[in-house]
Amino acid sequence: MDVVFSALLLASMYGLVAIGISFTWASIGMLNLAQGFIFTAGGYTAFLFAEIASTYGLEGVALSVGLIVAGMLGSAVAGLAVGAVAFLPLQDRDNFRTRSLIATLAISLIGTQVWLIFFGPQNKPLPPIFGTGRTEIAGSGIGNGQLGAIVVAVLMLGAVILWMRSSRAGLQMRAMMMNPLGAAVVGVSVRTTGMRVLAISGALTGLASVLLAQTFFVSPTSGVQPLTVGLIISLAGGLGSIPGTVAAAGLLGLAEALTARYLQQSLVPFVLFGIVVLILIFRPRGLGGLLEDVRE
Amino acid sequence: MAILELAGVSAGYGPVRVLHDVNLSVNPGERLGLVGLNGHGKTTLLSAIVGLTGWQDGSIIFEGRQIGGRRTHGMGRTTPNIVRQGIALAPQGDAIFPGLTVRENLDSGAYTRATWRSRRSRCDHVLDVFAPLRPLLRQTAGTLSGGERRMVSVGRALMADARLYLVDEPSLGLAPKISLGLVAALCEINIGDGAMIIAEQNLPLLNGRVDRVLGMHAGELKQDVGEALGDIPPAAEAMAQGMHHGRAL
Repeated sequence: MDVVFSALLLASMYGLVAIGISFTWASIGMLNLAQGFIFTAGGYTAFLFAEIASTYGLEGVALSVGLIVAGMLGSAVAGLAVGAVAFLPLQDRDNFRTRSLIATLAISLIGTQVWLIFFGPQNKPLPPIFGTGRTEIAGSGIGNGQLGAIVVAVLMLGAVILWMRSSRAGLQMRAMMMNPLGAAVVGVSVRTTGMRVLAISGALTGLASVLLAQTFFVSPTSGVQPLTVGLIISLAGGLGSIPGTVAAAGLLGLAEALTARYLQQSLVPFVLFGIVVLILIFRPRGLGGLLEDVRE
Repeated sequence: MAILELAGVSAGYGPVRVLHDVNLSVNPGERLGLVGLNGHGKTTLLSAIVGLTGWQDGSIIFEGRQIGGRRTHGMGRTTPNIVRQGIALAPQGDAIFPGLTVRENLDSGAYTRATWRSRRSRCDHVLDVFAPLRPLLRQTAGTLSGGERRMVSVGRALMADARLYLVDEPSLGLAPKISLGLVAALCEINIGDGAMIIAEQNLPLLNGRVDRVLGMHAGELKQDVGEALGDIPPAAEAMAQGMHHGRAL
């Protein structure tokens, strides 16, 4: 049972980051390597919020909600900042994909140094959001922090997907993912919608950052692991496919949990990349190609 | 006053110049046919009106407002604004959204805030024109046949509350019977004091259905349609000619 919990936790966190990468790629054609920087931005914003909150003696539910909101806001703003540098000025130039790839890589490298300068190399803890107790489910215990993280992540993912399916803004984004020309023709602005996508992807990443800080810490390089795994999950899911990304997150989360439990933690990267390579050899369009039967 | 006034419009992609000094005036309530062979600039002309060319120059005045001007890059950057001012385009190649249902595809045409609220009744009007789409509303657009896709694309343009409708090659790639039905339906729609431009390779489809026909030859407008078609109207000749001129622009 612990393996299942651990798999669910990993899957939901990776899912949040991977959906953001996948959305960004599918809608504006930018492979956002700065997603790790956006991730840490959320973590540090939540950390600053916790510092300020403690001087005012804020605690309980208000502190928990505040931490989550601060993390999501911080990352959304970081997402917009990345857009202002790597998307808006380059968007209608030749080779936008390569240029933005390099620009986001630069932001990611510079960002790590900026965090080092301002916050130093030490790990920063966040106060517990869901309390410190443990809950017994089906005969095995799980920390409240982990359980809360899984529940909040799944709820938030569900809410975003529902919103994408039902609202006018969601329709615009999905339309832009499928056919940018068609979207322009019906009056959807690539630039405005693109920035909106970056803000939402950022917010989801920031949520993952705050929730994961319940188990780990915030540090200048804590965004690297989520970025790497988020990237390979969005690839395995077939960039742009929402069901594919969710399925890939589940699969790779389970693989990581099983490997860490029954083999060795150090083998995790080999197993994850191995699975992705196998998926892409047999299904070049990722798992999304299996789940959606649409010809382009 | 003309609803659309083009003066000295040139446009192209990169080093290629497709349109040469085009002057055109479209009157309110007018349905205009634009005929010409493949690769002679019909699509580029319609694209230039909504800012979807690589570069362009020259004045385009729509309902008294300048929507053209000189531009060397930024393809499509002005398009959403122009579309919101009341120009709807059904582009070549349909540009439908394959993963959305037919209903969502149509709804996306009524994207502007004002028309979004009335999308149900607008959808009903479109379905009156394109009745075959009614049973397909919940189907994914990517699974439709070519004719059905074209109907979705044109229907999406009709969903907009536009003053000027631009329809690019409604008959391209369709069986003769289907394309005849589609063009006939297009020509029966009440456009009020708006206007409609239909670009079409197949002149007989338009004959007697539109108010005026202009020819397009080598990027220039011709009053004489015969010259634009090179006096070889049969479809087979037109196709061969089109292939000779390379990719469609």
